[in-house]
Amino acid sequence: MSIQDISKDDVMAIYPKVAEIIADALGCDEEEVQPDSSLINDLDAESIDFLDIVFRLEREFKVKIPRGKAIEEARGELSEEEFEQGGIVTDAGVAKLRTFLSEVPADRIKTPLKAAEIPKLFTTETFCKMVIREQQAGA
Amino acid sequence: MSESLTNPDAGLAGRNALVTGGSRGIGRAIVERLAGAGMDVTFTYLGNEAAANEVVSANPGLKITAVRVDARESEAVNQCVEALIERVGTIDVLVNNAGVIRDNLLPMLEDDDLREVFSTNIEGVFHFCRAAVPFMMSKRYGRIINISSVSADKGGRGQTNYAASKGAINSFTKALAVEVGRRGIRVNAVAPGVIETEMSKEVRDLAGEEIISNIVLKRYGLPSEIANAVWFLSSDLANYITGQVLSVDGGFKM
Repeated sequence: MSIQDISKDDVMAIYPKVAEIIADALGCDEEEVQPDSSLINDLDAESIDFLDIVFRLEREFKVKIPRGKAIEEARGELSEEEFEQGGIVTDAGVAKLRTFLSEVPADRIKTPLKAAEIPKLFTTETFCKMVIREQQAGA
Repeated sequence: MSESLTNPDAGLAGRNALVTGGSRGIGRAIVERLAGAGMDVTFTYLGNEAAANEVVSANPGLKITAVRVDARESEAVNQCVEALIERVGTIDVLVNNAGVIRDNLLPMLEDDDLREVFSTNIEGVFHFCRAAVPFMMSKRYGRIINISSVSADKGGRGQTNYAASKGAINSFTKALAVEVGRRGIRVNAVAPGVIETEMSKEVRDLAGEEIISNIVLKRYGLPSEIANAVWFLSSDLANYITGQVLSVDGGFKM
């Protein structure tokens, strides 16, 4: 399943619930949660919050989102060595990310990009797409 | 003073607890203590169904439910936690008490003696915490109390496997406390000394006088005295305590 198969309508159909879950998990107002909010940079999320959010999404949408799957899917057919070298995402890897995380404004994906900092790119819409991909996979 | 501190239930009444290994000894005392504080308590047992039923039937009027679960089996633990959430909605307090002992001098220990002690005493704690913590995080409320042992800090002959598993529980407790503190979850351990239970009978029979001579209070502890410490750490009275190992051992280590 490629990300091109996820339409804006698909995203908007579940967006209100996802935004509500994220606001609830992070203890912030729903108005603060925007489709392109970086959860870490804009909403002060920490890595453990991602686990909480994914857990809540799984229960709400009755899907199973394997931990770490987002990064794995972003890598696509690239091997780990092709995707990152010494903790830095390669040019090929960055190109992959720009496609996979098409919802992330291009100017936020700056190079050199540390692999450990990829989660900082994740937006509310990224989480919508995570859910949709699992819904499609299970359909 | 907040309402919960003036209330004798200290914030526990109406909340839900899960206690592992609750059919006998210290576990049973914990179950009865928390249920007596008005909690809805579910406890697990593995082999002794008669003892488990006895805990329930001996306490009419208290909310106590027994479920058979093998703490060593992660999938069984996940299912137990899911079923409990379905039934009562939350796990507010988790007490990891299930534990086994297979004492012997190191050269005499069989592989199974290591495996058995580690799989129940420490893997079991991992399994239950991993299953319950996400639900606690969602509620921003949780208290985890792991039952350690005086053996973790005070070396005892024939206890290399048991002592190592309990030392692991202490380290686990501190690390998990750091991970989840911000989400309103407190994680502590209680380290009992020699308590009058079936499990400690052999060691008491073998080395009773020597043990007593090393206990400042000159007596063994009672299961209820461990249960009181668990109750305290579960309650709102301990709201500023996390990542600690509370020794309840009559001064055994001094």
